Amino acid sequence: MTADPGPVPLPPDAPPAPEADAPAKRTERPHPLTPFIRGWVVLLILVTGIGREFLPDGEGPRPLPPLEWILIGVAVLALGAGAAGYVSWRFTRFVIDAEELRIDTGAIFRRSSRIAFDKVQSIDVVQPFAARVFGLAELQVDVGSQERFKLRYLQLGRAYALRDYLLSRARGAKAEATESTAPVSILADLHEADEVLVQVQPQTLLLAAVTSHEFWAIVLSGLLFIAIGLASGQWWMVLAGGIPTISGLFGFVSRRVTGQFNYTLSRRPHGLRISRGLTSITSQSLPARRVQAAQLSQSPVWRYLGLYRIDIEVIGWGGVTGDEDTTGVSTILLPAGTMEQVRVALAAIWPQADFAEVVLSPAPRRARWLHPFSGPFLRWGHDQHLVVSQHGWLVRRWQLVPHARVQSVRVAQGPVSRRLGLADLEFHTAGMHIAAHASGVDAAVVLERQSELMALLHHPGPDLSEPSVATASELSEAQAVIATPVSDNSGTGDRVVGQAAGPDALRADQAEATISSTE
Amino acid sequence: MTDLFAPAADWQRLPGRYVTARRWSALAYNLITTIVVVLGVGFIFDWSWAGGTAVAGLAWTGWRVIRAGRWVRAFGYAERELDLLITQGLWNKRLTAIPYGRMLSVNVDSGPIERAWGLAKVELVTASVQSAAQIPGLPQETATGLRDRLIVAGEAQALPL
Repeated sequence: MTADPGPVPLPPDAPPAPEADAPAKRTERPHPLTPFIRGWVVLLILVTGIGREFLPDGEGPRPLPPLEWILIGVAVLALGAGAAGYVSWRFTRFVIDAEELRIDTGAIFRRSSRIAFDKVQSIDVVQPFAARVFGLAELQVDVGSQERFKLRYLQLGRAYALRDYLLSRARGAKAEATESTAPVSILADLHEADEVLVQVQPQTLLLAAVTSHEFWAIVLSGLLFIAIGLASGQWWMVLAGGIPTISGLFGFVSRRVTGQFNYTLSRRPHGLRISRGLTSITSQSLPARRVQAAQLSQSPVWRYLGLYRIDIEVIGWGGVTGDEDTTGVSTILLPAGTMEQVRVALAAIWPQADFAEVVLSPAPRRARWLHPFSGPFLRWGHDQHLVVSQHGWLVRRWQLVPHARVQSVRVAQGPVSRRLGLADLEFHTAGMHIAAHASGVDAAVVLERQSELMALLHHPGPDLSEPSVATASELSEAQAVIATPVSDNSGTGDRVVGQAAGPDALRADQAEATISSTE
Repeated sequence: MTDLFAPAADWQRLPGRYVTARRWSALAYNLITTIVVVLGVGFIFDWSWAGGTAVAGLAWTGWRVIRAGRWVRAFGYAERELDLLITQGLWNKRLTAIPYGRMLSVNVDSGPIERAWGLAKVELVTASVQSAAQIPGLPQETATGLRDRLIVAGEAQALPL
């Protein structure tokens, strides 16, 4: 990954506008009408808000302040918004040329941001109504971090030209104008070509639900309430505690069973898919490349049943699903299953990694001072693909993070762990909800392990969500037969090409797969 | 134990004048926060509670002002071949390693107080919120130079997301 692509020659179809007309560094400002439009947007919001107050709503007339006061207030607010907009416009400059993408903003708190071209994930051109009237548009650059960089407002043509230019730069040297393919079809049934990997029976779901720790937590809280009622002789408390508990338990079990009913993880020619549900069937495709981390968990009773659950964190899917019954995307990779199913499911997203082969080393005994309950169960280790850490006293958790998804590694040590000669390791991924870490690691080994982890991070090789080498060559033969001239974004064809042409091609490929643009 | 948070590398420290800037900014931000909280507590609850809050707020401000020097001296960053190391903290020590290839963007921020001392803050943005990698109190030329070096290294060594 050391080969610097250098100044990438512009593809012939990219607009020559950004640098053809000005060879010197050219900083631009958004369109001068910007503050006016911002003021206008605020005015519209106010007018509709106040207008709604005037509308009869069945409660009779409401006392309103006199009209002139309202008008003055609205004018002041709109002018204020316009003035704020003017100041922010005055101090906003941007450079988009062959060398850099830089945005400078802020009057009091000045910020100058430079964005790496190849990290651009998607670019949206947004047109609110007021901007549309003047033929202006807002350009939003998404680099995968929390904030989106916004340039508002630009002339529509300029916004499109910049978008096309940035997209072609983000695709790297292999820039080509590819048509975006149609979204995946959502069908209730399995195709014949689909290979079923994991299927969870309803009785397993039912068993897992009534033996889960969440179920017993509801039972215990209900029993506690009833016990207090019995002890104090307040009979109404027994009813008030019992009825919600029973309905809560019923709701919990039915959500788990109906929401994940007939859970099926299958592999299609173009990727993985999960379908589930009894009343409403949800079918979602699972982009293996975007899985950041996985977490196995096991409730106390599940230990005797040999059941596990897998939650995953996927870029752009939001938080880890708590409600099993949601019809949208769910981050549950396996609602409940045996170790065999766990392996199959994890092998589906990370074919090259095998978490069972990772050697876990326990935390030293002195870690129990800091972690009195979970101390004996703290473990962590890594191999060339995965970092695995184990936590938990009653509910066991295993966090799995591939090196290829680690964004940064941190060693942390508080005053107590310093006394004990311990340290914590944190593995930061693009996800926010599975915060992978290893607690109570012996401080003597932590530094060398950190540099080891960093070294692994720098040698990505083929991505671990690629099929292993033998499979890849088989696939490429198969692909040669199946392949159609239309490039498909997430298909295996692109992957094989990426492997053949080296890391840079892989990067360009991947950019193509993740870049989306909407208007 | 100290070398756990300072492995052998070319460590860069922050300039001495950042101590003064940090003291002033701690003073400014903490005092404003304290005044707002004290007034809020006073109006909502009781003025005797507000007195206690004021004492706590002043103690906290004083603590930050006194600790600023040690905090700044404990802070360090090192540009290694493939990654950037940041070490910080007195009680809760942290050593963060960020590969250049993971950086999405690099920001240079300077607030009014920092600007008065000609300083700026470099913020490294990765796809992870937890990275939270910031190098405060660099001279402005150093900050922009560091930003440009980091982004060039990042583009040269880019790792797939």
